[in-house]
Amino acid sequence: MDRISSTRPRPLSPNIQIYRPQLTSVLSIANRITGVALSVCAIGLVGWLVAAARGPRAYSWFQGVIGAWPVQILLLIATFAFFLHLCGGIRHLVWDSVRGFELRQIYSSGWAVVAASVLLTLATWFLSLTIGRVV
Amino acid sequence: MDRYRFLSPLSRASGLGSAKAGFTHWWAERITAIALVPLTVWFAASLIAHSGSDYQAFIAWAGAPVTTVLMILLLLGLFWHMALGLQVVIEDYVHGEAKLWALLAMRFLCVGLPIVGILAALSIAFGKSAPL
Amino acid sequence: MVKTDALIIESSDQVPRRTLFKRFPIPRNFGVSPGSSVERGRNWPAPANATRIKAFDIYRYDPDQKKNPRLDTFEVDLDDCGPMVLDALIWIKSRVDPTLTFRRSCREGVCGSCAMNIDGGNWLACTRFIEETQTPARIYPLANMRIIKDLVPDLTHVFAQYEMVEPWLQSKTAAPERERLQAPEDRAALDGYYECILCFCCTSGCPSHWWNGDRFLGPAALLQAWRWLTDSRDEAAGDRLDKLEDPFRLYRCHTILNCTRTCPKGLNPGKAIAEIKKLVAKRHG
Repeated sequence: MDRISSTRPRPLSPNIQIYRPQLTSVLSIANRITGVALSVCAIGLVGWLVAAARGPRAYSWFQGVIGAWPVQILLLIATFAFFLHLCGGIRHLVWDSVRGFELRQIYSSGWAVVAASVLLTLATWFLSLTIGRVV
Repeated sequence: MDRYRFLSPLSRASGLGSAKAGFTHWWAERITAIALVPLTVWFAASLIAHSGSDYQAFIAWAGAPVTTVLMILLLLGLFWHMALGLQVVIEDYVHGEAKLWALLAMRFLCVGLPIVGILAALSIAFGKSAPL
Repeated sequence: MVKTDALIIESSDQVPRRTLFKRFPIPRNFGVSPGSSVERGRNWPAPANATRIKAFDIYRYDPDQKKNPRLDTFEVDLDDCGPMVLDALIWIKSRVDPTLTFRRSCREGVCGSCAMNIDGGNWLACTRFIEETQTPARIYPLANMRIIKDLVPDLTHVFAQYEMVEPWLQSKTAAPERERLQAPEDRAALDGYYECILCFCCTSGCPSHWWNGDRFLGPAALLQAWRWLTDSRDEAAGDRLDKLEDPFRLYRCHTILNCTRTCPKGLNPGKAIAEIKKLVAKRHG
């Protein structure tokens, strides 16, 4: 049985304030943050479709907003968020099949997700910038 | 007086018992995730291919039947997955009455927004004037 | 000595030699209730004749004083002290401050009593070398627990959660005359799960249990749940799954895997929980 103290409640020992950030927890919270960020992007996707449906003027206004450099930086971050969530999600699907749970596999798949996300982000932007210039 | 601390440890831990649910949510999150892998990759590749193209070229692509079907599937999968994911995020961090309101607002958005998006995709496909 | 610079951690006893962040970049008392915030305590200098000195920052809480927890710094004479973190704690208790309170028993990693947070990770004080710690070594009680005194956490709730998975053999078939037989491969299915010593390093290191520990059972209890689900002699799998299948009890596990990273026995609670989820899926389809 619980001993009921008659004085003040017991303090809660620190958790996130002291726990060492590890690849496990950092990638998990990253998957969550990118998921929320991509949810905001999904709202933008609907806005973009509506602008396209309304006609050339609305569409070019929307394209103008997207073309502004602060929005371009946000889009670069969103691209990275997309690939991190995509690769991290595939890693989770593998875990759901009860594979890849050895620590060595957890860490190597984790770093692979980070590396793949950086490379895919760079490749995407390189391709879209070069195609945009050629076409 | 904090009445909670007079509960027995087992009473606190068992709470209202098992909901005997949660699998459907977990499973749907995985199904939509699997569907979104090809759909989002297709969408990203299309965006790369059309960066810098003008409105006519863009509409020609966006109004094609294949694009419309894939776009509708993307919107459905995306917002379904998003509703499931955001539900867990809200349940994790928001407690008390605020949780109910946050879940309500999130669910309304995740039902309303894809409908708007699908209407827009259809009106591009059929060349009708825009729904909004 | 398992201090490492490697990016790939291969076993849970490896300690990073240096880390980019020792803690998450958030305010030190972020989200902490007023009575739980940790204040700066006092310094306890080493004896004057000590030559090899190492500092330990240790969480202190005295329920008899109406004061907040504090962080004391102790200087330990390494030449007068055994090699493990537990030795340092015992040295402090016998030479410097007899009121320093902690649990310990076996001093060889089989009882689980001295589980605490060392340099930001949960581990047993008796199996962590002082040489593996940072300077100053940061010693806190197990994370996210109600604290009785100093490094002694109140484990009532996590043991109640352990009790909820009914960690005993359940069988309706009349007990046999002699032992219940098992195929060797069925016995092998328990390996990696039955060895749990209930130190609760994993549950205390699980962020999902930090935020929803009142309803999420946590990795330690769920590993035990799997240990009985996978036991070929047990006949209650259906009832066990009924009690587990819940958005919070089981599915609040988001496969963060801090549990597997921290287990001092090298067990794999994350994998056990994935096995339970797979079993539930199997039952549904």
